[in-house]
Amino acid sequence: MTDAELSEAEKTFILHSVQDNFREDGRGNEDFRHMEVETGLISNTNGSARVRLANTDVLVGVKVQLTAVDPEKPEVGRLDFFIDCSANATPAFEGRGGEDLGSEISAMLTRAYSCPSAVDFHSLCVLPGQQCWLLYVDVLLLECGGNLFDAVSIAVKAALFNLKIPNVTMTKDEGGVELDLSDDPFDFKRLNVAGAPVVVTVNKIGHKHVVDASEKEEECTLARIILGVTEKGTITSMRKEGSGSLDSDSISEMMESARKVGMELNKILLKALEEEEKQGAKTVGFLR
Amino acid sequence: MAGMELLSDQGFRMDGRKPNELRRIRFKKGVFRQADGSAYLEQGNTKVLAAVYGPHEIRGSRGKALHDKLLINCQYSMATFSTQDRKRRPRGDRKAQEMTSHLKQTFDAVVLTELYPKVQLDIFVEVLQSDGGNYCASVNAATLALMDAGIPMKDYVIACSGSHMRDTPIVDMNHLEESSGGAEVIMAILPRCDQIVFLEMNSRLHEDHLSGVMDHVMVGCKDIFNILNQQVQDELCQKTELDKIVTTG
Amino acid sequence: MSVDIRLASSRPAGTDLYHGENPGNIVTPGDVITADSGFMRGHGTYMEDECLHASVAGTVERVNKLISVRPLKTRYNGEIGDVVIGRIRELAQKRWKVETHSRMDSVLMLSSVNLPGGELRRRSEEDEKMMRHYLKEGDLISAEVQNVMSDGCLSLHTRSLKYGKLGQGCLVCISPSLVLRRKTHFHNLPIGASIILGNNGFIWISPTVQDKSEESGGYETNLQPIPKLDREVIARLRNCVLALAECKMLLFDTCILYAYEASLKYAVKDLLKPEVAVEVVDLVRQRLELEGS
Repeated sequence: MTDAELSEAEKTFILHSVQDNFREDGRGNEDFRHMEVETGLISNTNGSARVRLANTDVLVGVKVQLTAVDPEKPEVGRLDFFIDCSANATPAFEGRGGEDLGSEISAMLTRAYSCPSAVDFHSLCVLPGQQCWLLYVDVLLLECGGNLFDAVSIAVKAALFNLKIPNVTMTKDEGGVELDLSDDPFDFKRLNVAGAPVVVTVNKIGHKHVVDASEKEEECTLARIILGVTEKGTITSMRKEGSGSLDSDSISEMMESARKVGMELNKILLKALEEEEKQGAKTVGFLR
Repeated sequence: MAGMELLSDQGFRMDGRKPNELRRIRFKKGVFRQADGSAYLEQGNTKVLAAVYGPHEIRGSRGKALHDKLLINCQYSMATFSTQDRKRRPRGDRKAQEMTSHLKQTFDAVVLTELYPKVQLDIFVEVLQSDGGNYCASVNAATLALMDAGIPMKDYVIACSGSHMRDTPIVDMNHLEESSGGAEVIMAILPRCDQIVFLEMNSRLHEDHLSGVMDHVMVGCKDIFNILNQQVQDELCQKTELDKIVTTG
Repeated sequence: MSVDIRLASSRPAGTDLYHGENPGNIVTPGDVITADSGFMRGHGTYMEDECLHASVAGTVERVNKLISVRPLKTRYNGEIGDVVIGRIRELAQKRWKVETHSRMDSVLMLSSVNLPGGELRRRSEEDEKMMRHYLKEGDLISAEVQNVMSDGCLSLHTRSLKYGKLGQGCLVCISPSLVLRRKTHFHNLPIGASIILGNNGFIWISPTVQDKSEESGGYETNLQPIPKLDREVIARLRNCVLALAECKMLLFDTCILYAYEASLKYAVKDLLKPEVAVEVVDLVRQRLELEGS
């Protein structure tokens, strides 16, 4: 229902509120909005998660597939990101309308996960030099309420946490090695996501910057930087976006904010996911 | 097909249902804030989201506008992870396009389009998990989403599928039953006036059995209708209770 | 810095569904309302087989001989005299097109606005050239519905000093059916903020302005920073309105004030949390019930 275009006075109001470190909804500049996460809602996948960050709604499904290794990197598995901007989110995404945004987000995720320590890529290799797992990480964007990049990355990490990769048994015969996938749904291994990054977008508004911008605030932003941050505070990727320009001092300030918030996000996300696993509660999905 | 019997001697289907038994239906209206109407619906393991936008000004070229009635625009897509084997693209394939036009026809028949000349209504359906009866779940979810958006309709539209196995008509087929190669009858009806707005049959079915299957599918549709209508009414009652506090205060 | 990630399963399940009898005025599409031919067909109904049927899910309302059904949620159906908030979408010949969450863009004619100087006069070509100077794309206005055309398009006017361009403040969009129809939709709340409850579900919260300068016709906006105290009140009101709307409460000045008072024990940003929002709304509901009984 929110219209993208804002009046000059509304923009001024938002600009001043950011200067005051008291935003339109009462948050400080480094506060995230309330977020909900749930994993394992789609039984057709090997791992799935849904994140709802205020009105931003993201559903991620991960499917695994055995494939030939990349000859240049014969000892590691691969990740493949695909973002589908559903028309459910906004009619503007109908047909091919969401493709540009989708490829932008998937490029950012690919970059953030290109760091070798992001996940244990070696454990995804089944038979070095021959077969490895290819993880199809498919993201479905269901509603847009600002800060898409961060919400998508959090949902991706949650889905990877939830991922169950079937165990493979190898039998050698003369022709080579035969691979057998386990049929038993309880015979699987998990992926260690401790090093996986989340994406933090820092928006420059006036002289200050904010994280987790609402749609209105994004409208007032001329420049932002998007970073991948791990739990330890390592920055795995970085990109500046938008038509405005930034000086290097403010970039380092923004990076500091992103690092701080990113570390916290990772920590709390992991805690929530482990809690969920312990509870083993029934999935709620979209029904509540 | 040893061990894969679609209907056992005791008269149970593979998932343990009786021939005329529906899968569990659960739904929620209004799952999104930004759409004018939305609904999420589960029929067994088939899970569908529908969103409705409008009626609003025609988007894109104004040439599409109909001077005497509402333009209904549909899009059917399936999440790439919704099927057993990953889909390469969520939409644009022939199946999705066929579904899109089926949905459009179905809802053209029931929305009171003449009330809204020159404007457009979008119905977007997204299949999150597919386990048979995708069209049926899509229609049922879209009906709820339209109701959530307050779009005037003649009646509910309810869809259900059915087939004939071992001399018994069965209703609400799951994926295994659909892919067994037997006949499949899909119907969408207006449950209160007994009108059929969509009918499709795949594979082959003996003429003598057709009316029997159709009757059972009709009954299946009405069962679905009763489930949906009961919850919709309950929600409305609850809201009126709530409003009373304000309006009498 | 605060980050709050919860599990979906921890969300409050919401109040139990109503399982009582249908009180009789609840209908869903296709229901027969009456077979009596003496009634007139209103919104949300249609005639077939000489029976009046419902076409939407909602409550039946009867005004004399007119029967209509009011759905829970819908796009805005304008009525003459309604107060609306709108956003300028497009400039055209002698008119502005305004987004009002109606099914079509509404129209504000150049001849339906007050021009600077105040006196009524013919609109000159000069004025036409100045249109973008008065109101441009993205600007927000408050206006009154002057007329509803046959195709449902609304024509607006701002020919009163209380209407016109809006300055600094916060717009909240909710469902139009949640705004209770009242004598006045403009409220200067005693807590230092003003609120306009547009019938179209657009709600405008702004600092109370003492003197609206008549010289410029209200087209000049004040871009000075607003004191933080006022800003806090506005943010709190915004979150209260959203909380009430989330719980599908009908909105009017009293219940918004009650919500504001009930929320005072929480920090403004805590109102974004669902359990706090639900608690505040519950307190409002109890207070209204107490007064109603």
